[in-house]
Amino acid sequence: MEIIDITKQRTRIENIVALPTVPGSLKRISQILEKPHVTLDEIGHFISADPALTARVLRMVNSAIYGFPGRISSVSHAVMLLGLNVIKGMLLGISVFDIMQKLMDGLWEHSLGCAVIARTIAEKKGISDPEEVAIAALIHDIGKVILIMEFQQAYEGVMKDAADRRVSVSEAEIAVFRETHAAVGMWLSQKWRFPPKLVEVIGFHHTPQLAQIAPLETAIVHFADVLIRARGFGFAGDQFAAAVHPAAFELLALTGDDISELLNTLEKSQDEAEGFTL
Amino acid sequence: MPKISTDKITPGMILTKPIQGSNGMILLTEGTELNEKWIDRLATMRIDGVWVGAAEPLMPISEALAALDARFEAVLKEPYMETLKNMVRIHIEKLYA
Repeated sequence: MEIIDITKQRTRIENIVALPTVPGSLKRISQILEKPHVTLDEIGHFISADPALTARVLRMVNSAIYGFPGRISSVSHAVMLLGLNVIKGMLLGISVFDIMQKLMDGLWEHSLGCAVIARTIAEKKGISDPEEVAIAALIHDIGKVILIMEFQQAYEGVMKDAADRRVSVSEAEIAVFRETHAAVGMWLSQKWRFPPKLVEVIGFHHTPQLAQIAPLETAIVHFADVLIRARGFGFAGDQFAAAVHPAAFELLALTGDDISELLNTLEKSQDEAEGFTL
Repeated sequence: MPKISTDKITPGMILTKPIQGSNGMILLTEGTELNEKWIDRLATMRIDGVWVGAAEPLMPISEALAALDARFEAVLKEPYMETLKNMVRIHIEKLYA
């Protein structure tokens, strides 16, 4: 298989959204994400100025990804409730939704399931902003979207290789790209000025032991990823259960009852993922 | 039954998922039986499809458990993975009980 060493192409990958092949919605959102010192107000105006985006944002905030009891019917209310980091992550999630659906069947179900599970664990662990953990989980595989968008043929080869050799898609990615989707996700989330915690979760969701500033949040998203693969829902590039990192699992200290409850939550999330349209 | 477009719905069909309007508001809840009036109104709205009829049947349990074995084969010896697999197996068995 042809080797495409992406570690030597970091700048190119960081500027991927400027390419003509990238959908306009992702480009426009990327521009606002990259802006230094963007304010909550500015993001609110950006969303409100676009009726289609407004509708998508409202659908997203009223989905199971977030745990808001009542319905949220205005952008200003959504922006207030969620805060800048969550809104930025959500805009990214919205802008890659179509690409996910088109290029990797099942990645959306995987991502949405992860978000729901991660939020539930975050609430159990008393994390003050469970929505931030949910959004981190929703976009944890953003690197896959970028890789498949830019190197579609090579990435299809990677997924086939993972299936043939019965290895994880990360392992197959290293064989071709010399790096994984987690690194790609980290490069771009830095470029998009995501907060350091979110960058860490995305970068270390397969290696939670490396997390320095958000070890708990990273462990949560790591385990949510493991659990959804274990249940066999969605598709994230390979169809195997992934080993949980023991230290991360111990940090979470979930009981058997907790896990059984999470599995029930996961069943419901898949119904929602199937019916989800933006 | 999967999602079908609004021009394919007929009176008497039952919604298996709620219908949301473009602003995210629920228009009709799960379990609603569709009648002519609803169908006419839905046709004029920008809704890409609705979920009707019975949910898709589960795959046979033997198949579900075989798929579980296959998923875990390579990682079963890793710490905690056998425990986790057993939890998922019990969960799947409960779904069929």
